[in-house]
Amino acid sequence: MPTKNIFLFGKIICLLLFTNVPNVLAQEELSKRVRALRQEQPVYFDGQTRVDMTQPAIKSLSLRRQADDDNTTSSAVSQTGPISGYMDFHFNNVEFQDPVLDFHRFVLLFTHSFSDRVRFVSELELEHAVVSPETDGELELEQAYIDFLMSRNFNLRAGMVLAPVGVINERHEPPVFHGVERPSVETVIIPTTWFGAGAGLHGEVGSGFRYRVYAMETLNASGFSAESGLRGGRQKGARSNAKHVAGTGRVEFVGTPGLVLGASLWSGDSGFAFPRGDVSVTMAEFDGRYHWAEFDIRGLYAHAFLDGIAELNNSLQRIVGVNPNIAEQLRGFYLEGSYFLLANPAPRELAVFVRYENFDTQYRMPSGFDSIAAFDRDSWSFGITYFPDPDVAVKVDYTVQRNRSEVLPAPNSFNVGLGWWF
Amino acid sequence: MRRVLVWGLLIMSGMLAVSHIQAEQTNHRVVTILAERFSFTPSEIRVAVGTSLELRIHSNDTMHGFRIIGNNVNILVPKRRQGEAVVRFEAVDVGRYEFECSRLCGAGHNFMRGAIIVHADHQEADR
Repeated sequence: MPTKNIFLFGKIICLLLFTNVPNVLAQEELSKRVRALRQEQPVYFDGQTRVDMTQPAIKSLSLRRQADDDNTTSSAVSQTGPISGYMDFHFNNVEFQDPVLDFHRFVLLFTHSFSDRVRFVSELELEHAVVSPETDGELELEQAYIDFLMSRNFNLRAGMVLAPVGVINERHEPPVFHGVERPSVETVIIPTTWFGAGAGLHGEVGSGFRYRVYAMETLNASGFSAESGLRGGRQKGARSNAKHVAGTGRVEFVGTPGLVLGASLWSGDSGFAFPRGDVSVTMAEFDGRYHWAEFDIRGLYAHAFLDGIAELNNSLQRIVGVNPNIAEQLRGFYLEGSYFLLANPAPRELAVFVRYENFDTQYRMPSGFDSIAAFDRDSWSFGITYFPDPDVAVKVDYTVQRNRSEVLPAPNSFNVGLGWWF
Repeated sequence: MRRVLVWGLLIMSGMLAVSHIQAEQTNHRVVTILAERFSFTPSEIRVAVGTSLELRIHSNDTMHGFRIIGNNVNILVPKRRQGEAVVRFEAVDVGRYEFECSRLCGAGHNFMRGAIIVHADHQEADR
C-alpha cells in the first residue's frame, strides 16, 4: 500500500471517529440493547429473599405520563383492605402485688379505599380482654378517619385521629419498641394512646420535612390527677364536649436514613366542666431516633404547662371532698439505647436494650400546694427482645423504679411480653 | 506502518469504549431507599429525563409495599434483613410521579409517601 494512501485512509478513519457520527450511532444501539436486557427482568428480589412473593408481571417499566383515557393503572374501584392488627400479651410481676397475666391489647385495623384519593382507616382496640363492671377492660375506637389524599404535600384528614405527639402515640405496634410496657413518660406525661375526634392537614415537603396540624377535641380537666397527670382527661370521642377545641401539630425531619427528629405542640382550654373554670393545657415535646448498623438510640422530652390549676384543685375539692393536688407543670424525659446482638435474619434476631426515664407529675405546684414526692419518679429498664420474625417480639425486662418519697417506695417489676403485628 | 495503524485503531476503539461506559454511568442512577414505619428515605428523588433509575428498597421493620400512583408499578418490600426489592425505570417523560406504601403497615400507613421528579435536564435534577 503506498504511503500516500495509508495517510489518506488514516485521515478518513480519524475524521469518522472524531466527527462523532458513528460514535453516537454505536452508543444508541448499545443503549437500546442494554435497556432491552434490563426490561427483560424488570422487578426482582435478590438471592437472599426468604419470603414467597408473587410479583406482578411488569413488561415495561417507564416513568411515563398516562393518557387521560387510560384507566388501566389507576385504582378507581373501591376496595376493602385485608384485616391487619397487633396484639400484646403480658406477664407482669410488680413488687408488693400478685403477678398477673394480662391480654393487654387486641387491636384490629380495618381499611377501605374508596379511590386512590379517598381512604378510610380504623383501629378498634380491646384492652384487658373483658369489658365488664368487674374488670378494667375497655373497648375503644382509637382511630376511624377518612384521608383525602390530594398530594404528597397536602392532605386532609377527618374523624377519630391520633394526637401527633411523641414517638409511641402514632407508632405503637409492639415489635417497634423495646420493653414489655410502653415508656412511662409516654404513658403518664403524654397520655398515650391519645386519640379523639378531630380534623386537619398532613403532608411532606422537600426532602423529608413533614407536618401534621389538627383541630381536635380538648381534654377534660375534671379527669386530671396528681399521679397520672392528664391521662384521665381524654374524652375519646365519646360525645366529646366541643365548646372548646384544641390545636395540635407536629413537624418531623425524616430526610436522613435512620434519623427521625420531631417536635410536637398541643394546646387547648380544658375547664369546660366548671362554670368558673378557666383551665388551659399546653404541651411541648421533642424527640429523636437514630439507628446505625445494629445500634439504635432514641430520646424524648415532654413538658406540660397547666393554667388555672389552683382554682381547679379547689373546685374539685368542693365537689368530691378531696383535694386532687394537680400540678401546674408536668415533665418527663427518657433515653434508650439498644443493640442487635444477633443480627441475622429471623429467627435469629436478638436485641438488648437499656432505658432511663425521669418523670414527675408534680414538677411545679400552684401557690399554696405542696408536691407529692412519690410522684417524682425515675426508672431504669433493661432487657432483651427476641424476634422469631420481624413482626413478632418476645420481650423480657426488669424495671427498677425509684421516687423521692421516704414513706412510699416505688415498686420494681419483672415483665414478660409477647407482641405481634400482622 | 501497518503496526502503527493497528495500534491506532485499538487505541481509538478503547477511547470509544470508555466514552460509552461513561455515558452509560451518567445516565444510570442507583438510589437506595429505606422503608420503615412510616417513611421512605429518601422520599424525594430527582432525575433527568432519559435516566435509567434503579431503586433498591429495603425495610427496617415489617413488609411494606411500593406503588407508583397512576402507573403499573406495585411491588412488595421484604421484611427486615430478608432481602430488598429492586425496581428499574426509564425516565421517559418529564413529570412528577408520586409513590406510596401499598401494604398496610400500621397506624401511620398513609404517611408513607414520596415522589420521583423527572426534570428536563441534569442541571434542574441536581438542584
